[in-house]
Amino acid sequence: MVSRLVQNTKVMKHAATFLLPSSAVSATNRLAQTYALVVLNQQIPKFTPLLWSHAKLRICADGGANRIFDGVPKLFPDQNQLNIQHRYVPNVIKGDMDSIRPEVHQFYAELGSEIIDDSENQDTNDLHKCISFIQEQTSAFDHSNFCTLVTGALGGRFDHEAANLNALYVFSDMRIVLLSDDCQIRLLPKTHQHEIHIQSTVEGPHCGLFPIGGPSVSTTTTGLTWDLCNSEMKFGSMISTSNKVREEKVTVCSDADLLWTISLKTPIHMGLTC
Amino acid sequence: MEVMWHASSFLLPQPQPQEPREDAPPPPPAALTYALIVLNQRLPRFAPLLWNRAQLRVCADGGANRVYDDMPKLFPDQDPQEVRLRYTPDVIKGDLDSIRDDVKEFYLNLGVRIVDESHDQDTTDLHKCVAYVSGSAPVEDKSKLCILVVGALGGRFDHEIGNINVLHRFSNLRIVLLSDDCLIHLLPKTHSHVIHVQLPVEGPHCGLIPIGAPSARTSTTGLQWNLSDTAMSFGGLISTSNVVKEDKVTVSSDADLIWTISIKKPIKE
Repeated sequence: MVSRLVQNTKVMKHAATFLLPSSAVSATNRLAQTYALVVLNQQIPKFTPLLWSHAKLRICADGGANRIFDGVPKLFPDQNQLNIQHRYVPNVIKGDMDSIRPEVHQFYAELGSEIIDDSENQDTNDLHKCISFIQEQTSAFDHSNFCTLVTGALGGRFDHEAANLNALYVFSDMRIVLLSDDCQIRLLPKTHQHEIHIQSTVEGPHCGLFPIGGPSVSTTTTGLTWDLCNSEMKFGSMISTSNKVREEKVTVCSDADLLWTISLKTPIHMGLTC
Repeated sequence: MEVMWHASSFLLPQPQPQEPREDAPPPPPAALTYALIVLNQRLPRFAPLLWNRAQLRVCADGGANRVYDDMPKLFPDQDPQEVRLRYTPDVIKGDLDSIRDDVKEFYLNLGVRIVDESHDQDTTDLHKCVAYVSGSAPVEDKSKLCILVVGALGGRFDHEIGNINVLHRFSNLRIVLLSDDCLIHLLPKTHSHVIHVQLPVEGPHCGLIPIGAPSARTSTTGLQWNLSDTAMSFGGLISTSNVVKEDKVTVSSDADLIWTISIKKPIKE
């Protein structure tokens, strides 16, 4: 077991710079990333326009289009609502189209959104379909510099949430971050050692590490209030919840895939003029 | 393998006495004793229904704020203070860093027991409350105790996962986590399971999720997409967006599974 951990010398770096306004991200701090945004069918987090501004590809999964149409204008209450709706037009709307409202469908279709009707495919959930689509579209990119941000994956029906968490495992070679108003979640695959560069103006201090796919015999961390040291973690026993980040850099090394979660500080300053 | 049965009858309005019919189904298994734990999130709309079923009501720290603030909102045409007096917890427990001073004073004056456990930072509020209920509930046979929990799902993800881990840590107890949208509970691998689906109030959307460890073999009946010695794992197949097809669902597995089923809206009291 120890020798296997020593061989995992590949380091994967993480930084939630997508939570900072573009102007605030320094050249040295920024890990060059290309972002895609997937909007699922739940209330959008208040900082969605910030994520939108970072993303090169914006996809709404079915009723996620309703959420952008209704929700983004509410985040700019002093602005002309129709102007806002014209500024936030997704590149793609994908899904079985049983949730998107007809007027929202028409509005975005007329403004050039590509509508992809998936209704014949009942095998996977909306997020899986969107991630597959992104995977196909971005085969030319270096996946280590490409990151998919997802809103609306948490809360609501628990089986939906579980399927969305499972997407992180199924597509474990892609960077995917699930975001809500309260927190973010990403997978730390066991194939790498991990460095998480904490953006302390926008995230923390509450954090956790969870072996939901299977137990960990040995996990070691640095930078947390309660660091793990070759610690065993499993459901039914100890898992790391209500931990806190103590330093700007957190490292994690484990024999198991782990979910990393960290709380978000609110409000997130979006630095947008719209 | 011993069979464990489950029924969300706590979501039904109190049963009315009926004349016995010749074709009546066999009587249900012996009634359960319910306890209710309220965590610090907005109360689901059917919280009063659960409260009325429970013989022991515990608020975990800021859960007391939620009862104080939200119960009157669920009875908008009634006097808020009268509602609060009707829905007074038996115990408030936890590290007490979330409960508001005015709420604490209100319940202290009513004689509610308030237990400060801030010295214990090793376990979560839910863990402390479950341990307390398990030790204090008015029932000798723990298999007849069912602990209902509101406010455990949603919010900060590490809290939610910590709450799910309580189901695994107390796998010998019946604990049900409830939100407005769904309920979840553990199906321990030590038993095969029969779930009597209460169709007026729950379903049809359901799922079986192997949290913590994969399953090499799970079999079900009564679902639209039944499993038949099917392997399930994160990274592979998990059963989500399934649908109950019959009012009796059976599950047997080599792994602990989380069962989840949607709750129909609205639940009438």
